[in-house]
Amino acid sequence: MTAFLMRRLAAMLPTVLGITIVAFLILNLLPHDPILIWSGEGPPPSAELMQRLREELRPDEGPLARYGEWLLALARGDLGRSIKDGRPVGAVVLEALPWTLLLNLCAVLAIYGLAIPFGLLGAASPGSAADRLGLWTLLALYALPSFAAALLLQQVFAVGLGLLPLHGVTGPGEPLSPAGRAADLARHLVLPTACLALSGWAYVARYARAVFRTVLAREYIAVARSKGLTLPRAFRHVAANAAIPFVTLVAAIIPGLIGGSVIVEQIFSWPGMGRLYLAAVEGRDYPVVMGLTLMSATAVAAGHLVVDLLYLAVDPRMRESLLRGAADA
Amino acid sequence: MPDRASEGSGRTGLAAGVLLALAAAGACAPLIANDRPILARVHGRLESPALGEIPFIGHILSRSGPAALDWSAPGPEVRVLISPPIPYSYRGIRLDEALLPPGRKHLMGTDILGRDLLARLIHGIQPSLIIAFGATALALLFGACLGTVAALRGGLADLLVLQAVQVVSCFPPLILAMAFVAASGHGGLLPLVAGISLSRWTGIARFVRGEILKERSGDLWAAAWSTGASLPRLATRHLLPLLAPPLLVMAAFGVAQSILIESGLSFLGLGVEPPSPSWGAMLAEARGSLGVAWWAVLFPAAALMLVLGSLCAATTDHPAHGGAENVGRTASG
Repeated sequence: MTAFLMRRLAAMLPTVLGITIVAFLILNLLPHDPILIWSGEGPPPSAELMQRLREELRPDEGPLARYGEWLLALARGDLGRSIKDGRPVGAVVLEALPWTLLLNLCAVLAIYGLAIPFGLLGAASPGSAADRLGLWTLLALYALPSFAAALLLQQVFAVGLGLLPLHGVTGPGEPLSPAGRAADLARHLVLPTACLALSGWAYVARYARAVFRTVLAREYIAVARSKGLTLPRAFRHVAANAAIPFVTLVAAIIPGLIGGSVIVEQIFSWPGMGRLYLAAVEGRDYPVVMGLTLMSATAVAAGHLVVDLLYLAVDPRMRESLLRGAADA
Repeated sequence: MPDRASEGSGRTGLAAGVLLALAAAGACAPLIANDRPILARVHGRLESPALGEIPFIGHILSRSGPAALDWSAPGPEVRVLISPPIPYSYRGIRLDEALLPPGRKHLMGTDILGRDLLARLIHGIQPSLIIAFGATALALLFGACLGTVAALRGGLADLLVLQAVQVVSCFPPLILAMAFVAASGHGGLLPLVAGISLSRWTGIARFVRGEILKERSGDLWAAAWSTGASLPRLATRHLLPLLAPPLLVMAAFGVAQSILIESGLSFLGLGVEPPSPSWGAMLAEARGSLGVAWWAVLFPAAALMLVLGSLCAATTDHPAHGGAENVGRTASG
């Protein structure tokens, strides 16, 4: 097991190195004066700001030397300092990280928790009117951008019905008891989670329906059903077999979730990494943009690793072959 | 089980039809919604100020007439012969008509500056489509070239392309586009096109590479090779035509994804610059009147959903069949 993990980590190294190269290229190799680009369009920057920008961008050195130095600093865990307030990028990001993790975790739970029952319902009666209606709904939701969905939901639930808060993470008023604070946070989580989960949910639900249909059409299910097995019990047999394709889907929805976080966090004033990223892009805070771009891609690469490990957890055949492969190696 | 080939060509046709209809609506926007007439007689001469606003065609057709003529309050020398069905422009600000609900005068109501929403919706197609088509074309070119080179050259080239595809697809598309737009500094369409295409070429390269490798072991390859065709000729004359129909479907899906990223960027204020309308930017503006004007949110959202939905329906397996093999993942979630 450890050997497998080590091998997978080693195989990730070229990808991570590639990610640093791509991030560096995108942000550095355009034929403009970097100081001019990153100092923004507003009033001329102060001397102190120019000094900080020079320190971060080092326009006099060649790109290769800059990349080398940046990579060395990165290896030490140094992401540079924010141009805006001079704080280390690592600290700025760490502040926002828990909020984004919370939001994305809730979104993943919502996606799977709602998509799988929906898929099962559709697969139980393929071709029925309810099934077809469900499929068209899924297509419509899949095509609805998260920001459009967010505005519609805000319009209905926050402004129209007044059931849920419009944005932010805490309600106004007195400091509450711990339980009250948790309930307050949960209320603030509902709308952002729904928007972030929306298109991923439509995607997974459609996938779930197709998977369950294939599995339910297998011969052993037909035999078991003909011997009097009820549908709910049949689903229990199907679940283990259907789990494997869902594991791959985790990797497929992560990039969308990270990109969606930028938009959803901005709309709902959620103090996470997505909002930080947009603020950095708008405020031309080069080190923060660089650090977060790098992190988002690394998170996706790490997601692939997690998927591999999940495979081991759900598929005994895979475990067998991989571990034997490790023993051979 | 329907015949796969006919189903495939049907999907290609549907995808092409949706794209063409959109392009036509986008190009004809000045004729559909405009505060200037399509045809008018000025001093006994026929003028068509609306036609002149169509890109490319307008430059050729429109004469250097009285361009400075104020069409909002035309004098007695002007006789309007044909006016557009929607007599409003996307930039006509009328504060006294701000936030009017949908009615006979404004079918979709007006926004916070009193601009007709329907006119803005129709005019919003064009910038989005130019960016989406541009980004998709760039991605197709780049992806097809790299995929072909990887498959035909093999060895180190193949390894490098595959590694590049893997690395770039780790970046969330919206993040990649935002980083590129930030680094390119100034506005304009070009950074948007390039920034969006950055994330769109990988799937195409992977597909082209795989198909060519598959063809390589087939009869077509042997036949062409035996006639003495060179590698570039093989690639351009024999392989690419074979790949064109599935590539068109991928391109239509790419256009949908590009529109999604573009509207996301415009929503965040990093995309198309005002006053030029974009559906994403319209929704961002509608945030200002949330709770007062539901129409400012509903119509742009519905338009986006309709366009993206029909493109997705044309490019993924028909939802009524319940297929789930998708070409890619949505960009901004």
